[in-house]
Amino acid sequence: MATPLTLKRVFESICISSGIAGSWRSRRAPRGRRMIRKDAADQQQGDEFQHAAARCLSSYYSVFVARLAIMIMLAILIGLLTVLTWHFTRVYTTKSLDTLAYGLRYELLQRPLLRMWNIVNSTAEITAAQVKLSEYVIKRYNKPATQAEQIQLYEVMRDVTWAMFASRKALNAITINYKNGFVQAFHRDHRSNNTFYIYSDLSNYSIGTSGPYDSNLISSREGWNDQSIKGNISAIWYREPLDPITGEKIGKASPIPPDDLINIAGISQVPDGVASWHVAVSKFTNSPLLSAALPVWDPTTSNKSIVAVVGVTTALSSVGQLMKELVEVHSGHIYLTSQEGYLLATSTNAPLLTNSSTGPNLVKAVDSDNPVIQMGAQWLQSEYGSKVPPGHVIHVQNAKLGHKQYYMDTFFLNLKRLPIVGVIIIPREYIMGKADERAYKTLIILISASVCILVIGCICILILTNGVSKEMKLRAELISHLDARRKAEASNNYKSQFLANMSHELRTPMAAIIGLLEILKSDDQLTNEQYSTVCQIKKSSYALLRLLNRILDLSKVESGKMELENTEFDLQKELEELVDMFSVQCSNHNVETVLDLSDNIPRNIRGDPGRVFQIFSNLINNSIKFTSSGHIIIRGWCENLDTFKNAAEFPTDRKKFGRAFRTKLKQQANNAMNFREDNKLALCFEVDDTGCGIDQSKWETVFESFEQGDPSTTRKHGGTGLGLSIVRTLVNKMGGEIKVVKKNSPGTLMQLYLLLGASSESKQIYDADFPNTVVVLATVGSMERMIISQWLRKKKVSTLETSEWHGLTQILRELLDPISPVSSNGFDAPYSSREPLKAEMTNIKALIDPVYVVVIDIALLDLSSDLWREQLNSLDIFHRKAMFAWVVNHQTTSPIKTELSREGQNIVVTKPLYKGKMIQLLETAVRGKILGMQNRISSTTNEGNGEEIRGSIANYSASKHQKFRKCSFEFSSICPGESSSRREDLIHTMFRERHQIGSSRRDQPCSSSNSSSNQKRILEGLRILLAEDTPLIQIVACKILEKVGATVSVVPDGLQAVEALNRMLAAESSRRRSLLQGSPSETPDTPRFDLILMDCQMPKMDGYEATIEIRKSESEHGARNIPIVALTAHAMNADEKKCLGVGMNAYLTKPIDSERMVSTILRLTKNMPSEATGTTSLVHIRFMPAPQARHYSCMYSVCIEEQLRRKGGQDAKTADDDDEQPQRWASECDDDDVLI
Amino acid sequence: MDAVTRLHRQLVDYSNSLFQEGILDNQFGHLQQLQDESNPDFVAEVVNLYFKDSERLLNEITVALDQQNVDFTKVGGHVHQLKGSSSSIGAQRVNNVCTAFRSFCEEKNIEGCQQYLQHLKQEYYLVKNKLQTLFQLQQQLLSAGGSIPAYEMR
Repeated sequence: MATPLTLKRVFESICISSGIAGSWRSRRAPRGRRMIRKDAADQQQGDEFQHAAARCLSSYYSVFVARLAIMIMLAILIGLLTVLTWHFTRVYTTKSLDTLAYGLRYELLQRPLLRMWNIVNSTAEITAAQVKLSEYVIKRYNKPATQAEQIQLYEVMRDVTWAMFASRKALNAITINYKNGFVQAFHRDHRSNNTFYIYSDLSNYSIGTSGPYDSNLISSREGWNDQSIKGNISAIWYREPLDPITGEKIGKASPIPPDDLINIAGISQVPDGVASWHVAVSKFTNSPLLSAALPVWDPTTSNKSIVAVVGVTTALSSVGQLMKELVEVHSGHIYLTSQEGYLLATSTNAPLLTNSSTGPNLVKAVDSDNPVIQMGAQWLQSEYGSKVPPGHVIHVQNAKLGHKQYYMDTFFLNLKRLPIVGVIIIPREYIMGKADERAYKTLIILISASVCILVIGCICILILTNGVSKEMKLRAELISHLDARRKAEASNNYKSQFLANMSHELRTPMAAIIGLLEILKSDDQLTNEQYSTVCQIKKSSYALLRLLNRILDLSKVESGKMELENTEFDLQKELEELVDMFSVQCSNHNVETVLDLSDNIPRNIRGDPGRVFQIFSNLINNSIKFTSSGHIIIRGWCENLDTFKNAAEFPTDRKKFGRAFRTKLKQQANNAMNFREDNKLALCFEVDDTGCGIDQSKWETVFESFEQGDPSTTRKHGGTGLGLSIVRTLVNKMGGEIKVVKKNSPGTLMQLYLLLGASSESKQIYDADFPNTVVVLATVGSMERMIISQWLRKKKVSTLETSEWHGLTQILRELLDPISPVSSNGFDAPYSSREPLKAEMTNIKALIDPVYVVVIDIALLDLSSDLWREQLNSLDIFHRKAMFAWVVNHQTTSPIKTELSREGQNIVVTKPLYKGKMIQLLETAVRGKILGMQNRISSTTNEGNGEEIRGSIANYSASKHQKFRKCSFEFSSICPGESSSRREDLIHTMFRERHQIGSSRRDQPCSSSNSSSNQKRILEGLRILLAEDTPLIQIVACKILEKVGATVSVVPDGLQAVEALNRMLAAESSRRRSLLQGSPSETPDTPRFDLILMDCQMPKMDGYEATIEIRKSESEHGARNIPIVALTAHAMNADEKKCLGVGMNAYLTKPIDSERMVSTILRLTKNMPSEATGTTSLVHIRFMPAPQARHYSCMYSVCIEEQLRRKGGQDAKTADDDDEQPQRWASECDDDDVLI
Repeated sequence: MDAVTRLHRQLVDYSNSLFQEGILDNQFGHLQQLQDESNPDFVAEVVNLYFKDSERLLNEITVALDQQNVDFTKVGGHVHQLKGSSSSIGAQRVNNVCTAFRSFCEEKNIEGCQQYLQHLKQEYYLVKNKLQTLFQLQQQLLSAGGSIPAYEMR
């Protein structure tokens, strides 16, 4: 079956490639469709199926065509086989039959010939015997002298001859013709079964006349010819009937008429003395007679003389009889002819003689009455001529006589003087008839068998290929389905791409809405009702923006557009900030947020900080959402790939870390040697919460888009289910994995690892060392306390923990009160029983002059009443000996803070307390201790130190991002100062103006003409250098800036900008010199600039180069960096990076947005002390000009402070504020100018 | 009264149509806002400056593109300048064409540049025409004793 299959394939391919297939297809299409329709009985599949089926029609037709082809081939094959079989069979049969037939014919012909031969032989023998007998008799009666002797001779002769004649029944006649003319003959008439003795009348003969018998006479032949005998009228012939058996005379002799005379051999027939043969006819028989004649020599004399001639006549009818018999058994015709063509014997009953007037004559074969013989003779004559050469034998197999085919064979019997030709004609039918019939039957059988095989074969093919065609159909369907799926995926991808492209367009209006709402909120004229409505709208807008951002993030990831940054960042800081951020939210939920980072995490890591931040913020957000009480712990450690080999070293809490993860990491470590070349680190994290947990069946699916652990949670907690999906895609993008793992306690435990690049410097976090330090942890959060204390102990820092005020005082008294001599008794029962605590105590006692740091959670104080003041006061006695650190939360009211700060030595930190803060705290404490000692020596107050410590903490908190502003704000609000009220006024004013810019048209049709004087004051006194080559922009920018009160100097290119700057720097330094010298000489013509607006593309020297130049000369002069703001028509991210990279401080795109420009300038100029303008001290907005600072931050901070002002600064952190904070961050990461 | 009102409405309609057709954007509105009594012809000045500058730049671009060896950086610079000033004046469509033109310059696609130069010229003359009409209308209004209406930002 293999061959047809391959054939089929070949055929198929040919069909498909050629146009024939197409035409076939088109021709057969309707039929195929009908069939399919029949197939598709199931209505449910309906149109889809038909659609798919129509598509796979082509393959279906190819199958059909292939089938047809196989069938045709099979038919051809079988037909060929049939024909060949038939042909060979027939040929061989015919050949063998022919051979057989030849033998048969030969045999058939041989027998009559033999008979003939026999007859001839016997005739010859008889003749010879007769001759001998005659000779004997003649010798006996030699020279009969007398008549009597003569007669006696004749009598004897007659007897002898009779004996001979009687013994041979087949003989027709024996004649003896004496020299003297006497004739004796016996004749047997076979027809009438009579036997006669014939003799001639003796009267005419004289014994003496021997003349004619001379040899001379013989040569003249006179009187010896038959004619002479027959024609011898003078002679009278007698005939007497004889008894055929005895030979007795039974009748009277009677003369016979000449025409009844039998043929008597004469001397003429034996001229040479040799036996001669000829065929004779007689009227007594209807068959030719064979007569032989022999001379009888005179035995007495030496010279040869013939005394008599003996003739023997035999009828040939017996041959004919034999032939008849033969032909009866077989079939066909046999005849013998003389060489001249006269018929001697036939197997038919056709007469051999014709009666003519001269008596019966022989018939030629061509004149035979039998048509077959006649035709055969004619055919032979026409083929070979009338004269067949002696000895020539003919075998013809396909002689067509009449309408039939005959076999014809001739044989030649060479008798002296009587050559005989035998012809046998056998109808072909007789021999080949059966064979032909058989062959015909065989053919029919073969053909019918072939047809059967063909039909069966076709059915087989149909059945066999049915499976194939079905499979092909299915495959075609599958292909079409795949195609459809691919299309669907592609369209989905288009959608994602579209969304990703739309991101900006979608977010911009949202940002506008939010920004406008903020402005609206800051409007004083709103009624309370309006205000709350606006707040609601804002909240909703943030929710919408958040949702948008998530969807866009997801689509960005899906469309493959998201690219990860690779910058160095401080992971610890990022996470700490995150925890800070969320702790506010958590504390409302009574949930503890704990950050537990292992010491082995490197300080700096390469990666995408924004995305890492996003991952954790999503995870924590998720945890918070589902955790109503308890804690959320973020654990992190670095899985050093080398240490995978000895996994036993891992601490117990990390052994839980997914085995699968570890093996995976191991694999990566093993099979990727470039791992270390890439300098990648595997950072593992766990986010552990005590929330409602996720059902185990959902562990995989929660990471899918729009999936949530429990559908009911949507009702309860809201959310789209996109958060975790984004997390997973981000984690995967960072080469990591995330999953949910089993946890013994209630809640969810998420594990993830990230592959991040290691930084070149391998400094680890928390590698500070605090010898000789004692920490007393008195905080409420048990988890946090436990983690910190464990870690501190590991750092060899003695730690004592308590969660109660009472316990704290106990410990403090024990530790620090030198007056109490009964130290061991000082503990109450519950505390004294604690052996580890005691041991710790003894350890601490062993330390020489340790630094005591007491960390107290503000929650330990009894804030419900005024008792807390008492409590604070009770601690006063320890202030000399220990540093006190207060952990405040955002709900802590300002009186308490004021009270805390009253005690100069107090360090105030906000919750949550994590390792980084702890280190900072300890460092400050240690330093404070040293300072304190110094102060004691120099007898200065503690106030300054306290300020410094506070400042340092504030700096630490605020150094990186603005989210720290809360904590820093709190610090600053602690600071009493009359500047704050003024500042708030100013901010308010500024805000109003901004608000008016945005909606000036609403208020007044021509606001530009009478803009408020406040607006001018915003940049009042600022001197700005504008480097811009396009005059148009020069004018516009000047106009904008002058409108807000700034003084603008314009230079057309970078070179002049640099020159102007250099002039300014030189003037400044000379001024400084002159100040030092004490002779104040004014240099009014050299303007000083507070800020440079720098176009990036300028002739002669572009903005980048100019900036580099300026920065260089500044460092040469030792002057502070002047803020430089880039102005460019490029709106690409890369341009911003480039700008910031060369040392510019901010970046503005053309067209110039006046509000943005003003706010940027404001931001950059207000936080630097400018003795020239003297305005900056008014506004103190605490934002560092760090590169990360966004230009909208000013706006935002202003909003916040405005809000604070509005709410009296008491409950600044309203719910919506907390809400928007993470979002702000998430959106900030990838789109800078979204919010403004 | 009716003449002023009619002119006023005409002007408002016309400027609205300019914004609607996307010929001008909000930047033009900002520009209008910057105009005050101290400088009543500020916008006109700026726009005239823009015309002068743009025509110079267009000429230079045309010349530069006709050279045997086109200096694409130079063309790009000019286009960039034109883009900057167009965006500053609020000629949005000119600005958009400039953006596309720049990308052709970066690709060094001479056919694209030629095509976009024509395009740019079209857009430029369109905006010029429109702005001139606008100023004429304003002048008419002012001479009729009306005041220039405010432009609403979109």
